[in-house]
Amino acid sequence: MFEKGEEGRLAPGPALGPEPEPEPGPEPGPSSGSGSVLGNGINPRTRAVKLRTRAVNLYYGDYHALRDITMDIHGCTITAIIGPSGCGKSSLLRLFNRMNDLIPGVRVEGQILLDDQPITGKPTDVTMLRRRVGMVFQRPNVFPMSIYDNVVIGPRRHGVKQRLALDAIAERSLRQVALWEELKDSLKKQAMGLSPGQQQRLCIARALAVKPEIILMDESCSALDPESTMKIEGLMLELTKEYTIIIVTHNMEQARRVSDMSAFMMIDEDKVGTLVEYAPTLELFANPRHQQTEDYITGRYG
Amino acid sequence: MMRKFREKLPGRIFFLLALSSISVLALITVFIVVQGAPIIARVGVIDFVFGMSWAPSQGEYGIFPMIVGSLSVTLGAVVLGVPIGICCSIFLAEFAPVRLRNLFRPAIQLLAGIPSVVYGLWGLIFIVPFIRNYMGGPGLSILAGSVVLAIMILPTVISISEVSILALPPAYKEGALALGMTHWQAIRSVQLPAAKSGIVAAVILGIGRAIGETMAVIMLLGNAVALPSSILDPIRTLTTNIGIEMGYATGEHREALFATGIVLFVVIMILNSTAQTIVKRKKDQ
Amino acid sequence: MRVAMRATMRVAARAVMRAAARVAARVAGSCPTVCVRMALVLTIALCLGTLAACGSMPDSVIVVAGSTSVQPYAEVLAEEFEHQHSENGIDVQGGGSTAGVTAVESGIADIGMSSRSLKEAEQALWSIEIAKDGLAVIVHPQNPIADLSLTQVRGIYSGEISRWSELGGVGTQIHVIAREEGSGTRSAFEELVMGNHRITPRAIIQDSNGAVMQLVADDRNAVGFVSLGLVELHPDAVKALRLDGVEASGRNVVSGTYGLYRPFLFVTDGEPKGLTKQFVDFVLSAPGQQILEREGLVPVTADREDEG
Repeated sequence: MFEKGEEGRLAPGPALGPEPEPEPGPEPGPSSGSGSVLGNGINPRTRAVKLRTRAVNLYYGDYHALRDITMDIHGCTITAIIGPSGCGKSSLLRLFNRMNDLIPGVRVEGQILLDDQPITGKPTDVTMLRRRVGMVFQRPNVFPMSIYDNVVIGPRRHGVKQRLALDAIAERSLRQVALWEELKDSLKKQAMGLSPGQQQRLCIARALAVKPEIILMDESCSALDPESTMKIEGLMLELTKEYTIIIVTHNMEQARRVSDMSAFMMIDEDKVGTLVEYAPTLELFANPRHQQTEDYITGRYG
Repeated sequence: MMRKFREKLPGRIFFLLALSSISVLALITVFIVVQGAPIIARVGVIDFVFGMSWAPSQGEYGIFPMIVGSLSVTLGAVVLGVPIGICCSIFLAEFAPVRLRNLFRPAIQLLAGIPSVVYGLWGLIFIVPFIRNYMGGPGLSILAGSVVLAIMILPTVISISEVSILALPPAYKEGALALGMTHWQAIRSVQLPAAKSGIVAAVILGIGRAIGETMAVIMLLGNAVALPSSILDPIRTLTTNIGIEMGYATGEHREALFATGIVLFVVIMILNSTAQTIVKRKKDQ
Repeated sequence: MRVAMRATMRVAARAVMRAAARVAARVAGSCPTVCVRMALVLTIALCLGTLAACGSMPDSVIVVAGSTSVQPYAEVLAEEFEHQHSENGIDVQGGGSTAGVTAVESGIADIGMSSRSLKEAEQALWSIEIAKDGLAVIVHPQNPIADLSLTQVRGIYSGEISRWSELGGVGTQIHVIAREEGSGTRSAFEELVMGNHRITPRAIIQDSNGAVMQLVADDRNAVGFVSLGLVELHPDAVKALRLDGVEASGRNVVSGTYGLYRPFLFVTDGEPKGLTKQFVDFVLSAPGQQILEREGLVPVTADREDEG
């Protein structure tokens, strides 16, 4: 969808674009497992681990969806989950904010830890978890109400009542997604009237208004035009200063452009989603260790 | 030529069929107006609509108490029936386990199929004595009519509200839950507002059913032609005025009953268009 | 309607069915098995029979329409009459006194039933009183009041008296129950009791004698008026008040001491002829009058000779 990788890379804020070229870092060898670094010269693996999964298996009734997923997701990085359709990328993503709970008959084995606290099982306060782990969906799903109400609906429901505080949250959130200047005079208008790109950024603002720690983005650019996609990618890089971002994407160029870490998933011979390879993005794209990964990223898959 | 004709044929047929249903409506309207308009002209619109005395044998035709009756009984039915109906639809759409839902839905459909005279009889046996014994008055009252009408509009309100909630894109609910809202918060602050136009439509249809109902309310309202002073007083609606007197009416009296029909027509049109304007205005905002 | 259906079915269908069965039997004659043949015969016979029944009404059916007060008695009479003259049908319909008279004038009905005297404009029609029906003012059986004056009843119905305490009863509000505008019972009551006073608009309106009875039987504070015959059929359900000390009974209507009664009339367009005459004669005959008396009305056998 986005062929001019070069432009895409340049579009985001100047300081934050991850460099696709192998960096002349201290340990250059890709196979060493720690050779890649962030755009700002920091190895993503040196960041504190925010989210851990340990041998996670996911079942929908009798259907085994994910097998033995074990990965560490580092704080203040962008992690991309890539892979062919139906490999369980979205299912994995939706484990992190328990959105899978909506599906009847869902069952999770293994452990998922957020800041070393388990988030699977009954005792977890799911609404609290979702306030810490925000989500942006594939298609912009603004609510049928005003722009302002869309942004502040989360804080409002979580108990912020004062008009001034809500106004401040709205402005801060809209500034974070660079919509404030565009929309500050039309906050009372219906959000449905915005362009899809604006709507999706509004959805990000809505998620940010709740002050989450992690933002999950489930193919959040796939329904958008290239220009909007670029804006949102720039936004992700901006946000990664404060937030941990996990994206699911079909677009390998996008994963390469924005992510620090990449996870490649595929279904195995039993049709169960598995994590094939998880490595710093530069390393995974430059020197995939698995034949399947290489086939996929070079477009030879299928 | 032939092919063009063939392409247009189905459209034409459907147009004719649509026309026939519209023309039936037109025929009914014309019939009622032709039958009823002369007496309104003779009595005077103001005296007919706002007149307080209905005594056909004395040549007095004032239907204001009945307009008040229709509106108050309908209002009562809406106040009692709509909240219950909407809560029930939320329960069915969002909370009910599948098995319970499969039990509830046909039961509610069945409720819609019960003839209104059965509702009237039931109200006469259970509601009227209850009101008479525990609340006072003759029992036949606005309250009795409202309670039974509220039950009668439930199926309409429930099924249309439920459909409009179920028709919402799941993305609304997911979006709301993903913000850390509870299920109930998601329903209240996102799903219900989003389903608003459907729910308003449900209420409008419920109002239509309530204001047009005749048989059950004849049995329950007491049919007195006087302004009520409380909800425990008997009252007559526009429909019951026609229903109760048409059997014997001749001449001018009969015309006056048709004229009552015209007023009922107008009242329903005013209610419908008001409701539609409200929905439209909400949408435009 | 029930009577009409039966009359039509019996008269029309019986003869035609026989013919139809013959036709059907001939058609089915060639069929191999008995079973199939039987089924075929039945089907064809039914089809033909139904067609014939729908297609033509026999001449020997008369329509009796009008007052809903008279209707139930007329139905009983019609049933008995059909029982005796099985080839004839009497179709009894309601519609109200005025509608019944109009129907006779326009030739839709052969006999009109009226529960009030004919108005001046209607005098051209031939009419005969078939019975008298007393009007009873009724209250709940447990109401302590048993006797009212005509003036008091008028006071209640005009709305001037609104509490039972004003009449020596308990202090609750009187629930006044009346019939609807156009009802023969109502106009008889207005004529006999109200004079030039009006029935209060606050009165609860019920559209049948039965509904008034039921309501008074259920409500201790209610007062209503219904056909005396109905009260005599259900003496325990409600209490008929004495009027100015005179008990509401058929005997007192005949003797003239109880003043609240109205005539039940049969109305025809000119002297009755043919089946109409047969039915009228039957109604006025001793067995017919006995039926009416049994059903609670006051018979008119005594004056029959003068008017017939």
